[in-house]
Amino acid sequence: MALLTDELKSWIGREVQYVAPEPLSTASIRYFASALRDDNPLYRDDEFARDSGHPSVIAPPTLVCETCQYVDGQANDDGYLGHEWDLPLTHCRLIRAGNDYEFLQPVLASDVITAKWTLESIDERSRSKGGTQLFVVSLAQYFNQDGTLLATNRETVVYQPIA
Amino acid sequence: MEKPVLIQIGDELPVWRKTFQPHDLVAYGAATWDWHRSHYDKDWAAQRGLEKPIIDGQMYGGVVAQAVMAWAGPRGFIEKLSLNYRSIAFAGDSLQLSGKVSAIENTAETFVFVLSHRLSKRDAVIAEAMTRVRVPSR
Repeated sequence: MALLTDELKSWIGREVQYVAPEPLSTASIRYFASALRDDNPLYRDDEFARDSGHPSVIAPPTLVCETCQYVDGQANDDGYLGHEWDLPLTHCRLIRAGNDYEFLQPVLASDVITAKWTLESIDERSRSKGGTQLFVVSLAQYFNQDGTLLATNRETVVYQPIA
Repeated sequence: MEKPVLIQIGDELPVWRKTFQPHDLVAYGAATWDWHRSHYDKDWAAQRGLEKPIIDGQMYGGVVAQAVMAWAGPRGFIEKLSLNYRSIAFAGDSLQLSGKVSAIENTAETFVFVLSHRLSKRDAVIAEAMTRVRVPSR
């Protein structure tokens, strides 16, 4: 039985948007860097950042692409708060296959981020172990309060039926 | 990287070694507002056949960016970062990130380096990555 139903195909092209309720903040930048044990002064020291050509400290590149921080809601039973398409699929495991990030300009603590997700494609492909699986590709675009595109993240996840 | 003009295709980046302990996964989850149980709840993991809580795949992107920015210097800017995930890594795994210069594109104003990376634990490849980083030439 095909995994890619007409109902699933109708999800292609859907969009959802998450608007941060406040600026990113120096605290979030420092916290993210600390969690990775990244002591790069670009993320902590305004004077160093200015000497390096920035108006102030900047965010580590991938921080802006962590969408959970912009979602104003309640965590689900698994503790997850962030973006996910509620696709009509059951008895499937979800596997993250890839992330393609593109960064257009440094992200500042004063930036108020809007994340716009678009479901770009769903493809059914064969598995080496037999059967098929679904590749779901989404594009996330991250804008600041001026509407300037700061970064994009094209994410591929795979849904595999559980035997 | 004080003298980017000396960089050549095939040059290797310093190898990074990281061991993310459970508290590191909790810290990253909190810093990104990602509280999914898979990253800290041993019982949740065991019920799903996982030996331990798993490292968030996007954390690898953070590690690759960290290594590249340390190599490129404070005027470096990562334009692209592509990650392909190959296998799962768990809390406590010792990870190794290697990288090398695979292409150089020079203009009057910038050096642009294309770097290829491999994140591994023992013999298993966890992720492969490509970055494109821009550094002013003067």
